[in-house]
Formats: sequence, structure tokens, C-alpha cells
Amino acid sequence: MSAAKKGKLLRLHFSEADRHQGKPLYEAVVERAKGLGIAGATVFRGLEGYGETTEIHRPHLMRRDQPIVVTIVDTPDKIERLIPEAEALMDKGLIATSDVDCIRIERNPSA
Amino acid sequence: MLEKGTAKKVTIYVNEDAQHNLGPLYEAILTFLLHKSVAGATATRALAGFGPHQVMHTAKIEVLTRHMPIRIEFIESAQRVDELMPTLYDMVTDGLIEVQETQVVKAVAPNQAAPKLPHQELKGKARLMRIYMGESDQWEGEALYDAILKRLRLMDIAGATVYRGILGYGAKRHTHRSGPLHLSHDLPVMISVVDTEEKLRPAIEAVESMMQDGLIVLSDVDVIRLVHARPESAHVGS
Repeated sequence: MSAAKKGKLLRLHFSEADRHQGKPLYEAVVERAKGLGIAGATVFRGLEGYGETTEIHRPHLMRRDQPIVVTIVDTPDKIERLIPEAEALMDKGLIATSDVDCIRIERNPSA
Repeated sequence: MLEKGTAKKVTIYVNEDAQHNLGPLYEAILTFLLHKSVAGATATRALAGFGPHQVMHTAKIEVLTRHMPIRIEFIESAQRVDELMPTLYDMVTDGLIEVQETQVVKAVAPNQAAPKLPHQELKGKARLMRIYMGESDQWEGEALYDAILKRLRLMDIAGATVYRGILGYGAKRHTHRSGPLHLSHDLPVMISVVDTEEKLRPAIEAVESMMQDGLIVLSDVDVIRLVHARPESAHVGS
């Protein structure tokens, strides 16, 4: 087993309907993370959920308003740098962090 | 019912025409094992063979067809084998008994009254493992997430869930995405697994060896309760 490194896991919860300058907020967040040189980001769509407006987010016929979770794992200092940027992009939603141990796997396919 | 882990495998070689109390010896041995509630025993008839008498027993020579070698095999815990051995030793007057160490990988009987759940109760401090990969990642010709899930089940890990992301990027720097116009089959996939530190440690190593690239993230969690949906089902989600 490779040595696990200390890292931070950042989770951003918001809605699929949230937008930033016309495009989906989750796309803007992922682009910002990429711009900051963050190792990786993954966007998940929940089936149903509710948040601070206590309005239930669920699939509608015409518009998508399901809950979105963006998870990002990197070193604590990089995550600290991303948090204010993510906060600025989000009008509402939730940001949570937790301490994690990371094992990065990178093998040459030919090896 | 046999349990997973180390056990003993007993092999007994006798002749088909060897007698015990006016019946075939192999039948007597099987009956004895059945009465002793041994989990299972199998007698197989050989095609040909020879023993210490140095006579070849083969079905090609008609007079010798009633003299074929029979092999009886059964697997039991070391303690049970110890209990059974004195009687077997007495019964086999002409033949061979052999015992070897073995590893029970799976022992399942359908429709059993009260099946034992393969994993222990999980409560309190535990570890959460998240495994990040691509949906199109392969392992030995099958989808990596499928292969990992099967491996975790083999290792009796309490539960695992596979999530598919809708967008993401990782070390390869290419963006995985889906949309109404592009049906991508390389979306990000995450598997979340919860179990105790000891159970997860070998699982991490196994998962690591199956992955070409990706990320494994571990964190401490508190398990509030593990609920088994149905007693006859050993399947739980996390």
C-alpha cells in the first residue's frame, strides 16, 4: 500500500438550476478549480433533496433542479485557496470540508 | 455449516469392494459422516489406479471392474476432523487416509433456516473509503467499478455504493462530461465503502493493485447503525 498523504475533501452543495454568468454553476466551479491547479473535481447529481429554502429539489418536466454535489480533494493549502473563490461564485448553498488521507494511483499503462 | 477461513480437507482412498459390516466400506464411511452432520462429503470412482498391492485396477479388465479405487473427500474444521478421525482410522482397514490444510473461500447453502451473515455487526468508529476512477476504466476486460465491487464482496466488506458523476476532471486533465448531445461513456465514477479500519486495510491494497490511475480517499466516520433489510439477504448498502 502506498503511503497515504494528508489532504482535505471539499464538498459544495447547491442546485442544478444555479447559474453563473449564464452557464451552470457546477461548470463554473469546476473551471475555477482547474484554473487554480486543483488536482481534480467531480460533480454528482442527487436524485432528490432539500436545502436552506426548504424547497424540495427534484426533477421537473421542463427544468432540471436536482441537488448537485461537487467534491474536490487536494492538499489543505490548495483547498483553503479555493474556498473563498467558490464562496464568491455561490449565492446560496453549503460548503463543507473534512480531513482525509489520500492515496494517489498513477501507473504507466505499459508498465 | 462450514465457515470461511482455514479448514481441513480429508481424503480417503479405499477399494470399491472393500467391505464393512456386510456393505461397501465407502457407503459406511459416507453414512458415518452424514450421521456426524459433516457439511458435505463426496465419493468419486476412479478411472484407473493402483495401490500398495501393485495391481493396476482398470475398467478395461472385466474381472477387476469391481475393484476400482474410490476417493472420499470432505472438508471440516480442524476440531471436527480431530473428533472424526479415530472412527475413520478404525474403519479403513485397507486404504489410505490423508489430511491437508485448506482454505474455505465460499460455503453457501440456499434455503437454510438461519444463514449466518458473512460480516460482523458494524457500529462506532469506522473508515469511509472513496475511490475515484473513470467509467470506462477496465480491469481484465471488465468494468473496473464492477470488478472492484465484486472484489469487495469477496472480502466481506460491509457495503459499497457506486456513484456516477455528471462532470469532472482528474490527473489526466481531461474533462469527463455528459450532455444532451454527447453521450459520454467516460464519466467520473466514485465508489464509497464503509467498514472498520482492519477490514479496509487489505481492501485498499487489493483495490490499489487493480487501478491504473485514480484516487483513494480515506476518512474517519462514526457508524450509527447498520440495518439488515431482510435476514435472508446479506446485502447492505452504505
